[in-house]
Amino acid sequence: MSEALVATQAPGTDTPVPGASGARSFWRRLRAQRAALVAAVVVALLVLVALFAPLLTALEGQDPTTYHPSLIDSARGGVPVGSFGGMSAHHWLGVEPQTGRDLFARLVYGARVSLGVALAATVVQVVIGITIGVASALGSRWVDQFLSRVTDIIVAMPLMIMSLALLAIVPSSFPRPVLVTLVIGLIAWGNIAKIVRAQTLTLKGLDYVSAARLSGWGTWRIARRELLPGLAAPVITYAALLVPINISVEAALSFLGVGVKPPTPSWGQMLTAADVWYQAAPQYLLFPAGALFVTVLALTVLGDGVRTALDPRAASRLRVGAGRRRGAGTGSGKGADA
Amino acid sequence: MRQSSVIARRLAAASVGLVVAAGAAACGPKGNDAKGAGGDSTPHKGGTLTVLNSVPQEDFDPARLYTSGGGNVPSLVFRTLTTRNRENGAAGAKVVPDLATDTGRPSENATVWTYTLKKGLKYEDGTPITSADIKYGIERSFAPELSGGAPYLRDWLSGAADYQGPYKDKKGLAAIGTPDERTIVFHLNKPEGEFPYLATQTQFTPVPKAKDTGTKYEEHPVSSGPYKVVENQNDGERLVLERNTHWSEDDQRKAYPDKIDVRSGLDSSVINQRLSASQGADAAAVTTDTNLGPAELAKVTGDKELASRVGTGHFGYTNYIAFNPKVKPFDNAKVRQAVSYAIDRSSVVNAAGGSALAEPATTFLPDQKSFGYTPYDLFPAGRTGDAAKAKELLKEAGHPNGLTVTLTHSNSKDFETSPEIATAIQDALKKAGIRVKLQGLEDNDYRDKIHNVKTEPGFFLAHWGADWPSGGPFLAPIFDGRQIVKDGSNFNNGLLNDPSVNTEIDAINKLTDLDAAAERWGALDRKIGEQALTVPLFHPVYKRLYGKDVKNIVISDWTGVLDISQVAVK
Repeated sequence: MSEALVATQAPGTDTPVPGASGARSFWRRLRAQRAALVAAVVVALLVLVALFAPLLTALEGQDPTTYHPSLIDSARGGVPVGSFGGMSAHHWLGVEPQTGRDLFARLVYGARVSLGVALAATVVQVVIGITIGVASALGSRWVDQFLSRVTDIIVAMPLMIMSLALLAIVPSSFPRPVLVTLVIGLIAWGNIAKIVRAQTLTLKGLDYVSAARLSGWGTWRIARRELLPGLAAPVITYAALLVPINISVEAALSFLGVGVKPPTPSWGQMLTAADVWYQAAPQYLLFPAGALFVTVLALTVLGDGVRTALDPRAASRLRVGAGRRRGAGTGSGKGADA
Repeated sequence: MRQSSVIARRLAAASVGLVVAAGAAACGPKGNDAKGAGGDSTPHKGGTLTVLNSVPQEDFDPARLYTSGGGNVPSLVFRTLTTRNRENGAAGAKVVPDLATDTGRPSENATVWTYTLKKGLKYEDGTPITSADIKYGIERSFAPELSGGAPYLRDWLSGAADYQGPYKDKKGLAAIGTPDERTIVFHLNKPEGEFPYLATQTQFTPVPKAKDTGTKYEEHPVSSGPYKVVENQNDGERLVLERNTHWSEDDQRKAYPDKIDVRSGLDSSVINQRLSASQGADAAAVTTDTNLGPAELAKVTGDKELASRVGTGHFGYTNYIAFNPKVKPFDNAKVRQAVSYAIDRSSVVNAAGGSALAEPATTFLPDQKSFGYTPYDLFPAGRTGDAAKAKELLKEAGHPNGLTVTLTHSNSKDFETSPEIATAIQDALKKAGIRVKLQGLEDNDYRDKIHNVKTEPGFFLAHWGADWPSGGPFLAPIFDGRQIVKDGSNFNNGLLNDPSVNTEIDAINKLTDLDAAAERWGALDRKIGEQALTVPLFHPVYKRLYGKDVKNIVISDWTGVLDISQVAVK
């Protein structure tokens, strides 16, 4: 009964609610944005690379931790032997200075850390954000006041400084990737909580929610059955934009030496080791930097595409691919479920 | 830290000393690329020498400086009773007279040392330098507010252990006598044949009592050397030195330039970039604290002109793995030996910057004659490690399936105790079935841990540098059982308290024939090496760029770095 209620009540509100037909039109609108599509393909490829890192390196015949002293010139500070940083059929992207470890293997294994930590941290942020946001909107005045102030404090906290402080005090025996995930996740959930609270307050005043309440449903059941579906669109949108931010933060933390521990490769860690080599072995810096750039860009474009597809009336912040969205119905703002 | 124990000061001093060594010790040619660049290599007087540094000369007070042999810029202003011989290579590891007429006359079994000052010595204002001024200079280094120097004076001078400096205790130190204006006599609590080395330290600089301004003295220390301070901005960030006209020429300092302009607070990459470009005033520039890193070396070696402007030096310094035999499984000597056999020194050397910046070490003592270097390789690992032999030893030790251990290291980016070195060791030991977990600590945390007997890990990276080029200050703090500090900074990592070692240290300290002493230090090093309490990894090599117009590069084995008192720019 409630499903039907949602489907019939949602039109006419400000909130696009993805029901069955919503999902279909969402995909249609997403597919119509060429930039978002390209970004989605890139992201899918990156995820595949991360998932199949052992397979890819096996294909190359290398692994990310073995030293190859014969491939570096010890007398010249350990610069890779050969042109382009020692690129060859055996070492597709060359080798790392001073160790001779395979750069391709380190890069693809580094993708696991970057993407894994970023995605997991986003999940933590979303879960905390929804919980706090909904509790705040549905709770008593005091609960709302308290949770909102806590959220304000979290939003005001400088992410990098707090992460550095937290990572510095936790004993180094704690598994590092999990720790980095938790730290990022636990510090940067404030904005999601705020968005969820505002959205919940809007939904709470709608007729179908009032109807549910009048029919005697408890708060928990209302939240689960009536409110959460309505929160999906803004949360997915914001989460899509959080992933690239989290990737950058993980890279920055590893760059500063508090991220994952060696010999586990991560892009940020590679960057920190490579920064002094920009003249003598430029590819050592360019590959991880390029990978980070492409990943963050693709995720941002994809996030923006998702946002456009979910809420056509909200104009794209980046206007990425806006010119090619003619058929997407963005301008009209009259999607199937709106 | 200032008022804490001798050992805490020693730690502070050692860390400063290492900074000085790493920063200021970048030249000591074993090979001789010591000729100036350019056609006319004869040095002439005149011109301005620019010094590009990263660390400001904050403590420009002779009481507070911890130096390995008189320092670099400070040695232009401060003369001492003795000094290091300003020559290239091994000849530069000798101690020679400076203010004194000789390197000291020992008596009473080397517990009393007597010095006579040269005639006609004057300060920058023309007033004469007296033996009482040297005594006063030493006394003020005991004042808690002027801490920072090496701990030897407090340890060695009779009845000086609790002396609080001349500001609190006007009576002064009874252990130092000044029978007349040119004579000074030191009374020690035990025989110390190496006292002439100690007398090179800046604490032996004369300080005129009437001009002493306490902690403010560093703003304008009164010069006894070839230059005087005419400008000191931002606590030593910018220093301008000009000729001291009252300097009575000494045999050691050449003092070619008319003016020295020290600019600090620069990033090390900026310093190396400016020296390689060598434009304008930078053509007459040197650095006394910035070495070439591996990546910069890769660039420099590819360029003949740049390569000709690199000074190479060897400072007495050893990077090693330390074991704490109180922690399992390192209580078993066979496990320690297995690690020694498994180590791959070529990958460690690469991690430290390659064969041009590090030389593999199998002895704890640096490979220099003045230290008494006696070659030995008790657990031969070859270039890349002997995994088979290591496995065999592990089996004998009751670990037939290998074992898992934790290696503690610092997270600082110094290519010494840093993650790169630790990872290279991890990779090498893997082949011998030793699985290494890395415990990287923030640098201060790391230092606190490894120098506290209560928290000392079982297996960690460490390094030690020489206070002067001899086996004494290299071996005694690390292996003398009486120097184990229970509640403070301990440097005896292996907690070794072997009566035969302690007795031999005492016996060598009695020798005033430094060559004979060196030989005995070398033999002692080998003997201690048998216990496998350390795995020597490498001795660093310092390489530094200098500007196009710089001539007369002298790099001694004492400091391993270009001697600023010898440099000419004309």
